[in-house]
Amino acid sequence: MRWLERLRPWIFPALLLALAEVVLRQRASDALAPPSAALKSFVGLVADGALLQATAFTLGAAALGLLVASVLGVILGVLLGLSRRAADWSELSVELLRPVPSVALIPLAMLVFGFGLRMEVAVVAFAAFWPMLLLTQAAVRQVDPRLLEVSRVLELGPWDRALKIVLPACVPRLFVALRLGVAIALVVAVTVEIAANPNGMGYAMMIAQQSLDPAQMLAWLGWIGVVGFVVNAGALALQQSVARRMGAAP
Amino acid sequence: MAASLLEFDRVSIHLGGREILSPTSFEVGRGEFVCIVGPSGCGKTTLLRAAAGLLKAGGGAVRHSGQPVTAPSREIAFVFQDYGRALLPWRSVSGNVALALEAAGLPREQHAARIASVLQKVGLGAHAQKFPAQLSGGMQQRVQIARCLAQTPQLLMMDEPFGALDALTRQGLQDEVARLVRDEGLTVLFVTHDLEEAIYLGDRVIMLQAHPGPGRPSLARMLPVDIPYPRDQLATKEHPRFLALRRELFAFIEHGHALA
Repeated sequence: MRWLERLRPWIFPALLLALAEVVLRQRASDALAPPSAALKSFVGLVADGALLQATAFTLGAAALGLLVASVLGVILGVLLGLSRRAADWSELSVELLRPVPSVALIPLAMLVFGFGLRMEVAVVAFAAFWPMLLLTQAAVRQVDPRLLEVSRVLELGPWDRALKIVLPACVPRLFVALRLGVAIALVVAVTVEIAANPNGMGYAMMIAQQSLDPAQMLAWLGWIGVVGFVVNAGALALQQSVARRMGAAP
Repeated sequence: MAASLLEFDRVSIHLGGREILSPTSFEVGRGEFVCIVGPSGCGKTTLLRAAAGLLKAGGGAVRHSGQPVTAPSREIAFVFQDYGRALLPWRSVSGNVALALEAAGLPREQHAARIASVLQKVGLGAHAQKFPAQLSGGMQQRVQIARCLAQTPQLLMMDEPFGALDALTRQGLQDEVARLVRDEGLTVLFVTHDLEEAIYLGDRVIMLQAHPGPGRPSLARMLPVDIPYPRDQLATKEHPRFLALRRELFAFIEHGHALA
């Protein structure tokens, strides 16, 4: 019976796909294609290497942008979390810049970096930077004051206090920030490719749409969903493994 | 008392505009075990935090070996009541002890031996690699005590260290702490709300009162505990002096509550 339990979440999507197959086979359309056609198109994309190349580009850009955002966000977040004065000085700038939609930066990024990887990385980094900054700052402020007292009684210097007490104490919350960042990075990377950058999965999907090939467009769409699912599951697994290694109760 | 190690000289403390501790003076001699009792809200913990330099005295001065205490130092170790919050959950037992050694700048190659010897003393020799979440409350408190021993302090401040533990664990730890303190020659200031614990452990018991009234000190009474050592959970607690002191303390606390 256990295998039936495991199958249960797949029943609804399978039914949906079957329904789409039946309906879309009967009325041919320029906008939609039946799942079987999308699958056939997908196999073609795998075979000619287009899938791997586009996926690698999008994931690479998202990962690089997230890396930049995380490094800057965590460093500045720790600083703003520990220093009341630094937080006061920067608050207005943060609140003015943060609401700017990251997509609105595409024209600027294009002028500065031109087409290509660097422009996409820059926009992704901008989008993911703010949640990393704010969540790190909040995490630092929520470090148990008792632990800071322990560090005072032991006369730890500011450097040791940050590295041995504050940062490790923040790790669980930093991983929540990182998972949010992963999701944002992927969305923004694909958006940039759809809007401007002639690379990656988003662009490939646009090309399929413009050449009136709904099967291929849907193949890309489904694949992007799968990639997002896998990346998020990976981030969750990483978070849980780090939590275990850091002494969290099992 | 020529060799006073810790001195409270008319120390008063205000927090949020309220006087928590009214001018209080007393001295603690080297090697003494002094317990502090009093009704809740009388400033026991506040006094202890001031002694450790975690709080600044509003008036008067706290002196350690004649020098004013203005900030925390490794010379004065502090055992917090909430051991769960005072340990680093991401470090193993030995890692938590190592924090004190890292803070003191002890060369790495000496860590293992020091950690082993300190854990042996608190009976955690077999649990060095475990994480705090894998230990019982009593064992977690032992880890904190081990970390405090590892910082080789002169003074040990203990803030209701056994308050959250069950009765049996508490008795076991009382005897262990009494033995450790004697072996290491530590001077202890021990806050508790358990009057019997105070008499059982203390060379002296200081009683604080809440809201002493204008111009009067928080320190209400000071009782020497003239019960011989070594003390024993059964014999000592049936000792006539123990019972007499217990009666005296209980009467005082009742009286204090009646006033408030």
